[in-house]
Amino acid sequence: MTTEPKIWNTLERDYRERIEAARPYVMDGKVVEAGDAVKLLEAVIRPGDKVNIEGDNQKQADFLAQCLCEVDTEKVHDLHMVQSVLSIPAHLDVFDKGIAKKVDFSFSGPQAGRLAEYVRDGKIELGAIHTYLELYGRYFVDLTPRVALCVGVSADRNGNIYTGFNTEDTAVIAEAVKFHQGIVIVQVNELVDEVPRVDIPGDWVDFVIQAPRPFYIEPLFTRDPALITDSQILRAMMVIKGIYGEYGIQRLNHGIGFDTAAIELLLPTYGEELGLKGKICSYFVTNPHPTLIPAIESGWVKTMYCFGGEAGMADYVQARPDVFFIGPDGTMRSNRDYAQTAGHYALDMFIGGTLQIDKYGNSSTATASRIAGFGGAPNMGCDAKGRRHATPGWMKCGEEYGMHDELVGDLPRGKRLVVQLQETFREKMAPGFVDKLDAVALAENAGLDLPPVMIYSDDLTHIVTEEGIAYLHKCTSMADRMAAIRAVAGFTEVGMAEDPAETAALRERGIFKTPADLGIDVRRANRDLLAAKSVKDLVNWSGGLYNPPAKFRNW
Amino acid sequence: MSDWKELEAKSFYGASARERARGIVDEGTFTELAGPADRMSSPHLPVLGEAVEWDDGCVTGVGLIGKHPVFVISQEGRFIGGAVGEVHGAKMVGAFVLARQMYDRIKEEHPDELAERLPAVVISFETGGVRLHEANAGLLAHAEVMDQIQETKGKFPVISLIGSKVGCFGGMGFVAAATDVIVMSDLGRLGLTGPEVIEQEMGKDEFDSADRSLVYRTTGGKHKYIMRDANYLVEDTLGDFHDQLAAIMEAPYDEIVQCRRIGSEALVDEQLALAELSVEMAPKDARDVWAYFGNEDVEQIPEMTTAEFLAVAQRR
Repeated sequence: MTTEPKIWNTLERDYRERIEAARPYVMDGKVVEAGDAVKLLEAVIRPGDKVNIEGDNQKQADFLAQCLCEVDTEKVHDLHMVQSVLSIPAHLDVFDKGIAKKVDFSFSGPQAGRLAEYVRDGKIELGAIHTYLELYGRYFVDLTPRVALCVGVSADRNGNIYTGFNTEDTAVIAEAVKFHQGIVIVQVNELVDEVPRVDIPGDWVDFVIQAPRPFYIEPLFTRDPALITDSQILRAMMVIKGIYGEYGIQRLNHGIGFDTAAIELLLPTYGEELGLKGKICSYFVTNPHPTLIPAIESGWVKTMYCFGGEAGMADYVQARPDVFFIGPDGTMRSNRDYAQTAGHYALDMFIGGTLQIDKYGNSSTATASRIAGFGGAPNMGCDAKGRRHATPGWMKCGEEYGMHDELVGDLPRGKRLVVQLQETFREKMAPGFVDKLDAVALAENAGLDLPPVMIYSDDLTHIVTEEGIAYLHKCTSMADRMAAIRAVAGFTEVGMAEDPAETAALRERGIFKTPADLGIDVRRANRDLLAAKSVKDLVNWSGGLYNPPAKFRNW
Repeated sequence: MSDWKELEAKSFYGASARERARGIVDEGTFTELAGPADRMSSPHLPVLGEAVEWDDGCVTGVGLIGKHPVFVISQEGRFIGGAVGEVHGAKMVGAFVLARQMYDRIKEEHPDELAERLPAVVISFETGGVRLHEANAGLLAHAEVMDQIQETKGKFPVISLIGSKVGCFGGMGFVAAATDVIVMSDLGRLGLTGPEVIEQEMGKDEFDSADRSLVYRTTGGKHKYIMRDANYLVEDTLGDFHDQLAAIMEAPYDEIVQCRRIGSEALVDEQLALAELSVEMAPKDARDVWAYFGNEDVEQIPEMTTAEFLAVAQRR
């Protein structure tokens, strides 16, 4: 029997061909001139390739994204984009121009409306909406990019990359691509003789390009204390006393938003007054929020691991090496995947805001005309079923779990707290509680297999609104749960269906607590309680180390 | 700490209109007139399905500084950005009318003590100008307030306080410019066309309204103090604004009105010369102007505390 000998290195052969095609544009070592970037992309990308443009909710490989929009569609077309965010206009322009046709992603933020429109018009074939961990997991299974367009701060001529404190996803992308014979191109702000620290080794990188302008970075996690409202302060007081204090929450994540910023700024004042210092909030996995500076300076925070950096916080972070994770070079390195893993397994609580919560307790940030995606929230906003270590808060929540005996019998098991902060009415009087999530209509409009739900009801343990706290995990049935949601839903249609007798019974059982039940004087819920009332106050707390970006400088 | 001391220590920037009204006159002297209990609210907003406030976003009343009756107008930025509608404007006018009546009465009853009992109108601005929901009435209100300011000339001072969150923009920027004295904090902002509107009309390259540092360099208290659009720059507390008002009211009327920016041929010439200068030097940034007027280390000016700034500032 004669058969052709099986070829086992087609990927490697293909890789060599592509590198050969790129040779005319390589100057010195691995350096390609910015002016040749479009030609380089045309040389190394083939029709139908899976391509990643690096970007997250902060830093963007914006120059390379722009270059990809300028390639000749005769040479490059039908790409399958596999990337964490669709955030800048170029990310969707590639579909508009017919360069790409399919996408698998995590988060779309500002492009959510346009994405929904393109999906409806058939310009984009939507694979799936993932969490970050889920998408990067698939990089090592069935969604490995053939070409990655990455971003760093500086590079040397051999392709060693320094990412600064915004390392974020660069390492995982480069590793997945390079170890499957793919091509890694990195745009950097500057070429140097020697990088301060090697974040991505040069042999994982094929080409480096000095971009004509520094990469775009969004100060996404900065909240101006001057804009925090009394209602947010009231909810923050309830959270600190009725949840953090009640469960002794030591390990937690804070997401983006004014609600959690209010909590951070109340720790050194209201938290101190309640005697909770050292008993709560010692370990954070979060971005370096400027509003955490007063709590850090007051000695509340032992350690803080970060998903990414935050514009203006580099000097402050560097000057607090006991708190942050600082390398031998003296600067912080962040890693979104490690932070997400910690968020899933090592934290006792997730807290965040949402757009809509339905009458069962499912919540979503999708609306009928916007495909917003998830980012990382679902990985942290769920009970980690694989967790096997005990902490007091986790154990207490498990002991209180009303469905425990039904599901587990008499063995002890803990439960992570998943808390949603919600205003009963949001901007433009949009109700925070609804009969049916807009996500359901979106799934129908966009032909999705699954309505994009951020946090499912069975993971949600607490809802906090200006009405009080619903301790949902204590409920023993869905009927109980729905009554508890009605109790916190205020004057929304869901809340108007409340039965006062039923709510009174829930208060008896400690499933619903009003501010008065928690011993909180509502009159004290005002801005005088904030440890910092302005961005300038934050700068002063930091001893001048925090250097806020221009858009936050009220002076 | 007593309630009064707490109020005086409060940030002017973050204070509500009512707190400002109480805190800028002497302790316990403020009486609100046409307050929320009188329920004077906009007749136009309900027609548009918008919520009303029972004071229409404008607190008016009278208090004392020393023996001076001070008629206070205080705008609330948390209600439609402090925008001026029909009732809001009518309340402003009402305060002027009462101040004039008070002036006439003091002149008649205490002719010897007119100087030490001289009334004043104080406006704590927090507004973007006309309320677009009732634009005609709002514009008319602006004209009426301007008219009222003219009626006070030669009689008693009108003093502007600017240091609240929304700043003082739009038509009310003109109104502030027409008053006798302007007191600001470094957090205060004063201008005509607001930053967002400039960006919308002229593009982001001309003016990036999200660049708050740029916004403050162009409209903020320190810049306005250097340009002498603001006469006094004070720290951001109700007490500091109160003390500055008291100091102004100590001075004789003729001296107070030296602070004016417009109102005489000489002042108009001065403003025109400034306009010419701006064409000539074509500044790229407020920092160029600061340097032109003799300020050193202009990069550091935004970073300075008010006290540090006042110690070194070179003014036009």
